Amino acid sequence: MGKKIRDWIELRIGLDELVRTQLREYRVPKNINIFYTLGFVAVVAYVIQALTGFFLLLYYIPQSEHAFRSVQDIMTKVPYGWLFRQMHVVGSNLMVIVLILHLLAVFFMGSYKKPRELTWMSGGVMIATVFLFCLSGFLLPWSQLGYWATTIVTSMPAAFPYVGDFVANILRGGDHVSGPTLNRFFALHVALLPPILVAVMGFHLFLIRRIGISSSPFGEAVEEAEPWVGYRHEQYNGQPFYPHFFLKEIFMCMVYLAVMFFFITFMPTFFAPEDANIQADPLRTPAYIRPEWYFLAPYQMLKLIPNKFLGISVQVIFVAVCLLWPFIDSKEKKNILRRPFLLSVILCCLAIWTVLTFWGRY
Amino acid sequence: MRYFLPLFLVLTLTTVTMAGYRETFEQEFLSKPWAGGPIVEKSACIECHTSHIMKPAFRAIPDEWQGSWHALNDVSCHDCHGGDPKDPSMSMSHVRGFVGKPKYEGVPEYCGKCHIGIVKNYLESGHGKALKATKRGPNCVTCHGSHGIQRATIDIINEQLCTKCHSYERAKVMKQALFLTEKKMGEIEKDLKALKNEGIFIGDDEKTLFSTHAEFRALFHTVDVSMVKDRTDEVTKRLEGIEKNVQRTLTELKVRKNFSAFLTLIFSGLAVAVAMLSATYKE
Repeated sequence: MGKKIRDWIELRIGLDELVRTQLREYRVPKNINIFYTLGFVAVVAYVIQALTGFFLLLYYIPQSEHAFRSVQDIMTKVPYGWLFRQMHVVGSNLMVIVLILHLLAVFFMGSYKKPRELTWMSGGVMIATVFLFCLSGFLLPWSQLGYWATTIVTSMPAAFPYVGDFVANILRGGDHVSGPTLNRFFALHVALLPPILVAVMGFHLFLIRRIGISSSPFGEAVEEAEPWVGYRHEQYNGQPFYPHFFLKEIFMCMVYLAVMFFFITFMPTFFAPEDANIQADPLRTPAYIRPEWYFLAPYQMLKLIPNKFLGISVQVIFVAVCLLWPFIDSKEKKNILRRPFLLSVILCCLAIWTVLTFWGRY
Repeated sequence: MRYFLPLFLVLTLTTVTMAGYRETFEQEFLSKPWAGGPIVEKSACIECHTSHIMKPAFRAIPDEWQGSWHALNDVSCHDCHGGDPKDPSMSMSHVRGFVGKPKYEGVPEYCGKCHIGIVKNYLESGHGKALKATKRGPNCVTCHGSHGIQRATIDIINEQLCTKCHSYERAKVMKQALFLTEKKMGEIEKDLKALKNEGIFIGDDEKTLFSTHAEFRALFHTVDVSMVKDRTDEVTKRLEGIEKNVQRTLTELKVRKNFSAFLTLIFSGLAVAVAMLSATYKE
């Protein structure tokens, strides 16, 4: 029976040929390292978010009067609801960590350089989309934490002249964060952002397969030996993608899941402090409010720069520079160890980001 | 790199030029809690009481209130004293219900506007009767304080405070009668808070505990030891009901923890297995 089904499929889509050409004969560079698996881990992390999000959607009520209680019911009454919620909450934070590591790995490997500018930019758009996912998802449980963090974030566009108030009002659906804001963020979270992310992810993966995976600049620099003057699909005489590299990716996914369940078991409230379990109360401002850890650095920067418009503009410029970085850094040399100035600037930026993140907590 | 510097300069110059555009926004933004620092209640009462025209003793009141249980629960000046905190000219107007400082013997009714059950029991107690008869007996403020009022605990019954008026013997017996029940309530409250922090719905038990606690505290204000002892059984039964629910939920949490620990082990094991398998594929 199994063979019949297999033959039926084989006749129609040529499965054997597909597996042979796309997995077994598809080769990746020999000097590829474990950091190259982070993109795959990010895809798996997103699939986990989508699946757990679907289960939460079955019981979540997107109305300000019922949202908080429905989340508590998911945690208390729904069979395995706690597991899906915890996987979704912990997973969202781990996914951001994986994406940041992926971004840093790509940067340090110089994988954004010609001809992979579009791959880098689509990755940047994906990270921005994931941050929007996090931002919109943060409000959905309608907790004090999410409510006031959203109040801060939706105030930021108001710093811009002419269009600022209009944009802030569009985001909130009024002057303050309220029921309409929840509806908007819910629609954004479950209806608009997923297709955008999937589309950009598809484009990103297409580019990776079309151009070929970037080789590591450390060790044998395969690509730099032959400059890119026209389109070509990079062919490597390295290790087969399947099973060699694929097993490394599976290994990293298992590590990702083990870390996720470690947090759920031993630190279940690590990503959900006390205020995350108190219903939103627009009349009671908590003594100290702060956004999620990945927004702490920009948040602290806003507090430090006395002019808020300047503070927000600097951040917008920073994002634009990051997104357009492959065009700004147009040198072909990929090995960052041979560029001490750039390396020191990047390490300084990372150190500042880390300091601001920790500072932002207090 | 050659485009970077001009681009950066153009964007920064534009930004700096436009930076002063929104002064209103600036003021609004910096006054909000995300600018850092604790939130300070702004009202005509506080503004006046913190100004230099006020006597030093009165100037201390806002600070005392800021650290109080009332402040923590959004009970502000006008909730007790009346008046209009939003309008300085009417903040002490009797038309807006300003009552100011009550007379010593009027304090129980004053506090009793909110603490209804307690004032009834207090007025029937020895404390209440003494106040009514002599106008010198202990009122609410004698034990609880006023502007800096803290959350009431059993520790309010102490030798230092009680012996201001009478011997500590009767009060000690009362404290002993209350002790176990109060302790149990404290433990249940702690457990409920822990469950709430894990995102569990505890609304029904929290409400039952709150009402039981309030009733029990109100009962104490009768200062009648035998009545407290008689009613303790009933209170204990209600607490046992809550405790049962809490224990059931805590057991459920343990099961959950074991399950996710099992999944951690499974995926750690799979990671090791995949790593070993991967090591066998050498070209």
